[in-house]
Amino acid sequence: MSGEARPERVALITGASRGLGRVLAGFLARQGYGLVLTARGTSDLEAVAEEVRNEGASVAAIGGDVRDASHRQRLLEAAIAWGRLDLLVNNASELGDSPLPSLEKASRETFLRVLDANLLAPIALIQAATPLLARSGGLVVNITSDAAVGGYPGWGVYGASKAALDLASKTLAAELRDRGVAVVSVDPGDMRTKMHQDAYPGQDISDRPLPEVTLPFWAWLLAQPRMAVTGGRFQAQAAVWEVPT
Amino acid sequence: MRTETLTFERPADRVAHEPPEVRGRSRDDVRLLVTIGGEHRHARFGDLARFLRPGDLLVVNESAAIPASLPAASRLGDILVNLCTRFQDDLYVAEPRWSAGKQGPLPVKPGDDLRIGAAKVRLVAPYPGIPRLWFVHADRPFGSLVEALGRPIHYGYTDEWPMGVYETLFSRAPGSAEMPSASRPITPNVRDAIAEAGVRILPILLHTGVSRLEIESPTVESQAMYPEPFAVSPETALAVNRTHAAGGRVIAVGTTVVRALESAWTPAGVRPVRGFTRLYVNPDRGVHAIDGLLTGFHDPVTSHMALMAAFLGIDGVRSAYAEAVRGGYLWHEFGDSHLVLRGPPAAG
Repeated sequence: MSGEARPERVALITGASRGLGRVLAGFLARQGYGLVLTARGTSDLEAVAEEVRNEGASVAAIGGDVRDASHRQRLLEAAIAWGRLDLLVNNASELGDSPLPSLEKASRETFLRVLDANLLAPIALIQAATPLLARSGGLVVNITSDAAVGGYPGWGVYGASKAALDLASKTLAAELRDRGVAVVSVDPGDMRTKMHQDAYPGQDISDRPLPEVTLPFWAWLLAQPRMAVTGGRFQAQAAVWEVPT
Repeated sequence: MRTETLTFERPADRVAHEPPEVRGRSRDDVRLLVTIGGEHRHARFGDLARFLRPGDLLVVNESAAIPASLPAASRLGDILVNLCTRFQDDLYVAEPRWSAGKQGPLPVKPGDDLRIGAAKVRLVAPYPGIPRLWFVHADRPFGSLVEALGRPIHYGYTDEWPMGVYETLFSRAPGSAEMPSASRPITPNVRDAIAEAGVRILPILLHTGVSRLEIESPTVESQAMYPEPFAVSPETALAVNRTHAAGGRVIAVGTTVVRALESAWTPAGVRPVRGFTRLYVNPDRGVHAIDGLLTGFHDPVTSHMALMAAFLGIDGVRSAYAEAVRGGYLWHEFGDSHLVLRGPPAAG
């Protein structure tokens, strides 16, 4: 960690080694955010950290699995060292088996693994981070999917985990409002990422946009008063983003 | 729709280089082409009210232009940074340009730093799908830079004029990169004539970005758009719906008003909304919330042309623009006006 200067704002991003997490990390770093980044792939993660560090950003890159309580504690300690946490992005997700099985064929083991990664781990990280988020008036972003509402064949395991995460987001938003912590769900839409490719093995997904397509949305969301958006579910590739009235 | 469908021929001299008032003429001393049901009539802007009916509703944009063009020092030398869309005090989407007359994209990369006055400004990321535009972050509020150094955005075909030239009768809330120019010729006299005709005028707010968005994708519909802050008030939403219910016409003054009302439109009517929109009004999407449009003349192969084609049909636009070229009408923000209405004309 290059912890000499205390950044004015701090963001923690899971799944930061590639795809959406990686793009978001660079976008925030160049706006002066200090970053706590994590992912399971350590070498990819270190490459991301190196890139933003070279541009002058403060970065703590800590490889590991968010399902592991001691790893969550290490992430939090990095933010505590900077004294604040303004943004927590639960982006790391587990797709399940590739190719995607129908619910009829899905195994209990896969279901438990996906729910653990996509539902229980983000909630546990929020639980651990809430005191620091409350001190900073922070925002929690849980990355969801249109599979959470779609009923698409093959997407039942992943979709169920994201539907549950959506409900957890909404509930947490109501529970944490009085402590000044905001919680939103964001559906980034289809993107040309490794996860999307894993969902469609062997298929050409080059017509999907790169994750950079979501940057205008992040610029908008992070500009909104936290309590104006809390409890909301947003589509990053929608034509209109509105503040609930 | 193929992008080349939005091309048309226009002689190079059909551009207004200056506002009428600098020659001592009134702002409403411009021409008005009226297109109704595929037929065209030639009039003066001052006669606008003659083409309206009691119970029609005019909707205007109350956003005011700011001096959004900032001089910047970069490793490429002196450039301009034209602010396009405000996200936060210190975060905008902007267009770095070589000069007023020479657009980018510039050979810059994420993480590059610029100087604007005493401020350090960082290029954060290119805008997805529009390579001329960048997210820019400053170490102090851009508002202070606008105040100290900002000049009105202008392009090669016209000089820079005092800020008052870019204000309209309805300018209330500063925030647009460029003036919503369709209402520029509406003088107090024209406004009074509109009121006497039994026509109400209500506002929306849309802070418009840099205007010249050329379509660079092979099909019209796949062009990326940048978002613009907008708001449709409960009062205006109600007036739009009541006008429609009573058989009146809702006439948008400017393409910004079309974007705002269409963004607020649902099959059940227009609803109050506040947020950001990058809704792209194109022939695929169509136009639902308005029955008329008062606007200027737009450049070929732009998002504005796509909007015109959505409202009039591409053949309708071609017919109107051929008539405007034949009649010697002038293009751009200081030029002549075009009123497009559905349904039969008013008497007169």
